[in-house]
Amino acid sequence: MDRRIFLKKIIKTFFFSVGIITSSLSVLFIYPSNISRRKTVFFDILAEDELPRKGVKRVDFTYKHKEKDVQTGFYIVADKGSILGLSPVCSHLGCLVKYNNHEKAFICPCHGGKYDIRGQVTDGPPPKPLTELPLKIADGRVYVGIKV
Amino acid sequence: MGKIFDWIDRRFNLKVVHKRFLKRSLPEKITYFHCLGGAAFTSYLCLIVTGLLLSIYYVPSELEAYDSIVKIQHEVRFGKVIRSVHNWSATLFIVFIILHTLRVFIHKAYAPPRQLNWLVGTLAMLLAFASGFTGYLLPWDQKAFWATEVGTSMASTIPAIGKYIMYFIRGGLDVTGVTLIRFYSMHVLWIPFFMMMALWVHFHMVRRLGIKRNL
Ligand code: HEM
Ligand code: FES
Repeated sequence: MDRRIFLKKIIKTFFFSVGIITSSLSVLFIYPSNISRRKTVFFDILAEDELPRKGVKRVDFTYKHKEKDVQTGFYIVADKGSILGLSPVCSHLGCLVKYNNHEKAFICPCHGGKYDIRGQVTDGPPPKPLTELPLKIADGRVYVGIKV
Repeated sequence: MGKIFDWIDRRFNLKVVHKRFLKRSLPEKITYFHCLGGAAFTSYLCLIVTGLLLSIYYVPSELEAYDSIVKIQHEVRFGKVIRSVHNWSATLFIVFIILHTLRVFIHKAYAPPRQLNWLVGTLAMLLAFASGFTGYLLPWDQKAFWATEVGTSMASTIPAIGKYIMYFIRGGLDVTGVTLIRFYSMHVLWIPFFMMMALWVHFHMVRRLGIKRNL
């Protein structure tokens, strides 16, 4: 091979590799590094006798995560003799649903998703029921498991 | 004024170079619809001017973003006007790009030899959408937050890799202050930079290939 062509090839390969390497490193740089799996942590939220007998109760509370106060809330549902905790995060695209006592349904303000009192989808685009949050009762206190 | 310019021009020859750009042949039947691209570009210039001004007072931080917007709105002289012009230019920009694209489509101006300019135009349009999306988060109020929550969640519906694309865009699991900062960076640095390059190419191709003669 001719010396000139050879040098040209080397230089081309060099700049091409620099380009590829810098762009891949940039993508890695931009991708978040601290994505850890969320762990379920139980929080003490209320006394056992504050649980609803029938219907839906909204519970709001604040917890500390990585030195920041995080505000959150969820629903406690008492229906057909059982108690369940429901996350208000809509399974469609993540807006927060609100319980409508009149319609006995959880309604999402974003695209009209609707869930019945047990969190099953009755209308709109949500593909899955509302996420059920584990509840624990011990020594007269109620604990809820939230992924943080 | 003219004399000063001529003196400078004798050294740099700016006029001659740009004569080619300004004096070019146009089809006889040129219509107001041919102005739509220019109208989009004019909105873009308004966006740049008002955007540069807003960035003087805006603070891209979780704790201060909302307050700085309130301050621009109520305390900064002409703040309300500048924000409003930035908003309206953004809306008009998108409208004009879409109309311009329609005009190009209807005139079949995407046909050879202009295929590449259609692609560059599409890139500019996507960049415009990205600009709007990232800019919408910056006020950091409820509407901004939930629009971004929903908008970024859409990425997660892509099978298999969707979740990771969403984390990539958000800079974490959720929409947080990290998201705000990267959206700000995209909005004022990355996207304008690539938009300038795309438009530069777009305009030079229009000059080289000329406006399509119709019918
Ligand atoms: C950032 C947004 C854009 C700006 C500022 C812009 C600006 C312009 C300008 C000033 C022209 C000169 C002729 C005219 O006004 O019609 C032009 C032509 C053209 N644009 Fe755009 N444009 C944009 C987006 C697009 C998009 C989204 C497409 C298509 C997907 C596109 C495709 C074309 C084509 C093919 C031409 C040549 C038209 C012809 O020869 O008749 N442009 N553009
Ligand atoms: S986010 Fe709830 S319906 Fe779309």
